[in-house]
Parts: sequence; structure tokens; C-alpha cells
Amino acid sequence: MSSIVLEARDIRYRYPRGQEAIKGISFHFRRGEKIALVGPNGAGKSTLLQMFNGMLRPDSGMMLFDNKPMEYDRASLRELRRKVGFVLQNPDRQIIAPTVYQDVAFGPTNLGYSEAEVKEAVTTALRHAGLSGFERRTPHQLSGGEKKRVAIAGVLAMDPDVLVFDEPTSGLDPSGSEDLMELLEELNHEGKTIVISTHDVELAYPWADRAILLADGQIIKEDVPDVAFGNTRFVRMAQLSVPTLLELSAELEKRGFAVPGRKPRSVLDMVRIIEDHARETRCPPSPGTITVCNVDKTEPAAVPLWVQARPGVAVGAMGTRAKQCAATEQVAVEFTYGVIDKCILRALRGKDSLILTNGSMVSRVAERVEAYGKESGNAIAVVLLENPGRQS
Amino acid sequence: MFEELLEDVAQTNGLRETSTWLKLAAGLSAIVLCLLSTGYAAPLFIALILSAAILVLARVDPRTYAELFLVPLWFALMSVAVIVLISGGEHVFWSWDPLPFLSLSVTRESINYGFFVLCRVIGGMSALLFIALTTPMTDLFVVMRKVRVPDFVIDLAMIIYRTIFFLMDQVRQVYHAQVMRLGYSGWKESVHTFSMLCGSAFIASWDAGDDLVRAMDARCYDGKFALLGENRPVELRPLAALALFLVAASAAVVATQGMTLL
Repeated sequence: MSSIVLEARDIRYRYPRGQEAIKGISFHFRRGEKIALVGPNGAGKSTLLQMFNGMLRPDSGMMLFDNKPMEYDRASLRELRRKVGFVLQNPDRQIIAPTVYQDVAFGPTNLGYSEAEVKEAVTTALRHAGLSGFERRTPHQLSGGEKKRVAIAGVLAMDPDVLVFDEPTSGLDPSGSEDLMELLEELNHEGKTIVISTHDVELAYPWADRAILLADGQIIKEDVPDVAFGNTRFVRMAQLSVPTLLELSAELEKRGFAVPGRKPRSVLDMVRIIEDHARETRCPPSPGTITVCNVDKTEPAAVPLWVQARPGVAVGAMGTRAKQCAATEQVAVEFTYGVIDKCILRALRGKDSLILTNGSMVSRVAERVEAYGKESGNAIAVVLLENPGRQS
Repeated sequence: MFEELLEDVAQTNGLRETSTWLKLAAGLSAIVLCLLSTGYAAPLFIALILSAAILVLARVDPRTYAELFLVPLWFALMSVAVIVLISGGEHVFWSWDPLPFLSLSVTRESINYGFFVLCRVIGGMSALLFIALTTPMTDLFVVMRKVRVPDFVIDLAMIIYRTIFFLMDQVRQVYHAQVMRLGYSGWKESVHTFSMLCGSAFIASWDAGDDLVRAMDARCYDGKFALLGENRPVELRPLAALALFLVAASAAVVATQGMTLL
């Protein structure tokens, strides 16, 4: 079991001349976990988040980072804030400087990096957030989603261990939200602990490792998402709604479908339940293959050729760089979110697909498909496509 | 909303990538030459060249440019009318003494002088607009640091720059909300509504200030502000163009010395 990175012990907080916002909360986050703090407006989510990087200090109780109690002097707070990056709900409030470059460079500069180090940190962060080429743009020229990415890049440039997002998808359109959740997935895959606050259960349910239901300054339930969100009583107490997938699986269970112990987290899981049920009556086709292409290591121009040579292959792009690559090479992309699951769904129908992605997400595809294969008994082949240009 | 318009044009203009130093040199020396000139032709010549540069090289929309030019031009025309009427001269075309201490006259000298002032205004304005439309504030910050403006002044200027757009947005939203609910339907309502707009703008700026401090703290603020220190190099062609412009403009100043309209 990985080590605990952030912990709260019976913390309480009352706003000056106000109501008690946090009424005795204890929890801990492990390194590399994805945590969703879910609750209605006014539940104390934002207040709680602000304690993670020492913006607020609990009136009683104790916050620990890396198993050491948080100190609130200047030097300790600086160190804490470098390690716990905080992305505010409203990016307009977080972007300080007049250009994107300057804003992302703000943290590293104040940490005393040299000019070359600052430049490198900024370039890496911008690349990560899919904002390469935006250096000299001014924030007021950007769209809401782009501003959000600038805010995230500004935090990433300090290379924190824990990333805290207050309502990360508020104000974004659905595809912007999916892009953002994918970025969070990518960051998590690189070993960062990610905490988000949200009241969007549909978003939190498939994403989180653990969900904390919060209402009226207290924790109602803390568990894996299918348990936390599956209990109607807790969900109602937190003024939320049960995620559609869970509701659907509960209904299917009532109708005599065999629902496995682990509740469905995705449309893929759901389809499996239904197909398992239907399998007795028909024989499934032999599964298709999933080809994975690392856009960083591939000649970009080779991708459209590869696709053209294979009609009937659907292309999915995962990650900002992959999407950019697809756009520049004019590859028609069919899936831009939930890519792996959608490709598995295709493979189950006997069709082939290509996933464009980059970096660590390449192995993520293989892991996910393998895990699915173990669970369902459907082995799907994953092929790595490297340098198709040079082969031919 | 002019500031925004100007800045937006500057951020996307065709000369954005030209060295800031060259653009500043062109604009500032044009102003100096307009002031040095003693004839009306040289400022007009400068205005013509710079306007052509703004419209052709920087690809600024002619309509936008005309609108920007016309507003101050009205003021200039009114001042010139006053100058023409009250300054005297020998060749009197028309005169009128409405009061014992006030005499209005139009003379050859006054017309010459008025026209000269008008041409200077046009020349100077085109130079200022050239700088404003081709050089975004963000580039000027870099120059400010290079010429050793104190850091705290630049930092403040940058925060103000960033906040202006944010506040303008807030004010616009409140204003629209007020208009939609008929806040400006009568004179009395207008006064009342406008005072509320000011009040909410004040509170919004207060809030924004609070948030700014928090945002800076959250990112380990330690008194330092990063600058995009990237220098756009002085390239040969723009440099040659600038030199040519300066030589031609100086020649025009010398050649048209003392030239008058009438």
C-alpha cells in the first residue's frame, strides 16, 4: 500500500463571524490516488480544499502533509504550496500576468529558478497542458477552456506532488470537460495525486479511485465510488443523484441480470453485463485488434497513410498532443474521449481501431485492455505501431 | 470600449513580430520631426507614410483606423478654428468686432498658421497610433525593463494591465444585466443605476484584489514577476525601411522649410 501524502485529523473551521463550515473531518489521501470530493453547494468543499495548501488554517485539529504536521510560517508555507498545487474554480482569478508565458513562469521565478530553468519548466508545462505556441498570447484573448489550461500549466510548472482542483469542469463545454478529465488522468498516470471537488456525480463516478461525500461540513461517506454513490440514502443526504450507470445496473439486477460484484464503471462494463446475458443465444465474432501509435515517436505524416491503407479502421485520439497531431495531419478522428473503452467496444464487434496517444498513456492502453481481457475472458490483441514510415 | 479595441488590434497586427525598438524609434522620431518641421508639408508626408504602414504593413482594418483617427481630429479641428479666428495678421480676408475687447478675423497668416497646426496634429497622431496599433503593451513591458524603469512600477503596470480586462468584463456584465432590466429608461433611473454600477465595480475590484493576493500566495509569491525577456531581433529589412523613412522624412522637413498654404 502506498504511503499517505495528505491527512486531516478532526479538523474544524469557522469563518470569522460566520457559521462553522467544517465540523470535524478526518481523512487521508495516498500517493497517486484520484480523489473526488463530492457535495452540494455550500457543503464546505472549497473551504476544505483551501486547507490542503495552507490558505486556510483549521481552528482545531491537525493537517498533515507527508506525515508531518503543517507549519504555518512563511518558509514552510512556501514549501507546502510548491508541493500542493491549487487550481481555482475561476481561472480569471488565478491568471496574474499579462501573457501566458509570464503567468506560467510566475511560480518558477518566485521559487528562485534560473532563467534557463524557468524557461524549461514553462515549456514543459505548456506542452503538457497542450498550450505550446500560446506563450505570447494574452489571457483575455483565450477561451474559457484555454484559460483553465493556462491556470493548470501555471501550477504544473512548479512540479507539485499533489494537484487540487476546485470544480475543474465548471464553465467548460462537454468536450472541454472530457479533455480536462483526460489531462487529469494523464497527470495521475505520471504519479501525481489528484483531488477534485465537484457536484457532478457522472463525472466523478467513473474517474475517481475514492469518493468522499460531503454535506454540511461533514463527511457522510468515504469509499470506492460504486459504494459511495450506490447507496441512495447517502446520495440523497448529500443532495446528489445516483450516477446513471449505477442506477441502470441496479435496475438490471432487479430484472434478473447477473451483475458482478464490482459495479459497472463505464459503458463498456455495462455492455458486458448485457452481452453476457445475451451470449447464450448467439455466438460472438472473433475480436478485432487495437493498434496503439505513440505520436511522439512516429513520423506524423505516416499516420494518415497507415489509416488510408486500412479502410474500416476507426481512429481515436487520446491526449492533447495526439489530438493536435491528428488535426495537423488531417486524420479523421472518431473518438476523442473514453477512447480505450470505445475501441474495446469496437474490438468486441470484430472491428479494428487505432489509438493515437503519447508518453505513458501508451502503456495505459495495454494495461486497460489486458485488465478487461482478464475480467471478461475476451482476449483483445494490442499492437504497438512504431515508425510505420520507416518500415515501408 | 477603446482600450480593449486598441490592444486587441495591436496583439494581432502584421508588424507584431518586428522589433519593438524599431517600431518605437519610428513613432517617436516621427513625432520629433513633426515638431521640428516649420512647413505644413513634412508632417503631412509623415502622416501619409505612417498611415500607409499601418494599413498595408500592419494590416489594420481601414474602418477601425478611420474611427480612431476621427475622434481626436474633431477636437483638433475645433481648436484650429479658434486659432484661425483669434490670431491676427496683415492680409485680412474677413473681420468682425462683436465686443470692444474681442475681435475675430480671418487673415492669410492665421489661415496659414491654423493649417500648419492641423497638419502637425495629423502627423503626431498618426505616429502615436502607429505605436499604439503595432506595439502591444506586453512588448512595451519588456522595453520598460530594458530602459531600467523600476521593477515595482513594471509589476504594478502589469497587474493593472491584467486587471483592466477582467474588470471591464465585470462592468460589462453588470451593465448588460441593468439594461436588460430597463435600468437606464429615464434620467432619474439612469443616475441611480449608474451609481449602482460604480458600486458593484468597486466591490468587484476589491474582491479581485483579494483573490489576486491569494492566487499569488498560492504560487509562492516572493516579490518576483517573470518577464518574457525574449528579444525580437532587429532584422535587416525593417531596419533599412526605418532608415529610409527617417532620411526621407528629414529631407522633407528640410526641403519644405517655411512652406505655407497661401
